[in-house]
Amino acid sequence: MSASRPAPGAWRLLGIWAGIGLQSFGGGTSTLLLIQRTFIERRGWLTMEEFTQLWSLCLLAPGMNLVAVTALIGKRLGGTRGIAVSVAGLLLPSATITCLLAALFVRAEHSAVVQAALRGVVPATAGIMILVAVNFARPLIRARVTIGRWYPWASAVLVPLFALALIAWNVSTIAIVVSAALLGTLFFAPRAPRPLAADIQKRGES
Amino acid sequence: MIARRWATEADFGRAIVVGQMSPGPNGLWVISLGYFTGGILGAFLALLAISVPPLLVLVIARSYARIERWPRTQGAMHGVSIAVLALLIAVIWTILRQPGVDARGLLIATGAFGLALTRKINILLILVLAGLVGYLVYR
Repeated sequence: MSASRPAPGAWRLLGIWAGIGLQSFGGGTSTLLLIQRTFIERRGWLTMEEFTQLWSLCLLAPGMNLVAVTALIGKRLGGTRGIAVSVAGLLLPSATITCLLAALFVRAEHSAVVQAALRGVVPATAGIMILVAVNFARPLIRARVTIGRWYPWASAVLVPLFALALIAWNVSTIAIVVSAALLGTLFFAPRAPRPLAADIQKRGES
Repeated sequence: MIARRWATEADFGRAIVVGQMSPGPNGLWVISLGYFTGGILGAFLALLAISVPPLLVLVIARSYARIERWPRTQGAMHGVSIAVLALLIAVIWTILRQPGVDARGLLIATGAFGLALTRKINILLILVLAGLVGYLVYR
């Protein structure tokens, strides 16, 4: 299941990423949602499955996962030049605004208005993050066809378990990712693909 | 979580707040830290410092491409997809457990989720609305 719309040119890509960088106030949360919306839902350049795969690779890289996933998407859509324009497009405008905000914030930090407004914005970013999580959950449910009917059920058990390990037992992120990968090699490796009905028919004809 | 590596204990609270308002990835707060300590040059160096390590993912992706078709690799990725979701839930939990988030905050979170789900309202607008609600409720 590969997305196959024609890839954009470098300038278009730069514009798209700069747009994401400029609009995605609210920390990384809205950046992630805007990436999902732009590249998967609106343009169809990636499927959610492909995006999940790229994001999983980013968890293995050091530093900011969002920069890493920007580089990977940039590479897929525009090669080396795609990487450069995507990362620059995401970071330069948003870094400038972050600088300005930080400078302003030091002055307005103790203002009651700013603090009250922030108490509204902070939980809203969590709400947006829930939608990001829902988007990531969809391929897990769809995968019952490719991996096995029990895979969504296994996810339904493992997701809360891993989350609990992260939250309550302070297990490190990398330990979770590595143990999830190990579990996957043992239990989620696909069996030999069953031939599709169309293939069988074709073979019958020839 | 990313900020923890870059900011000192005293800066941490402020880092979270600025990080949660500002556009782009969370870790960008380090750029303003660079700006405060070393001016424009400091900000630029900070930008370089945070954009280079993630590029290692390109090396990882290249090695991954070689083993991508192995059933075991695909199994591992299906495992990691589960971890991805758990990590997001942990982040959501961390945000909602911050001091200053109360029952009304949970309502705001639910409202923001609902509005985002409709896909018709700009994310920026949702955050502005949330700020406005916060101002009206908590002033």
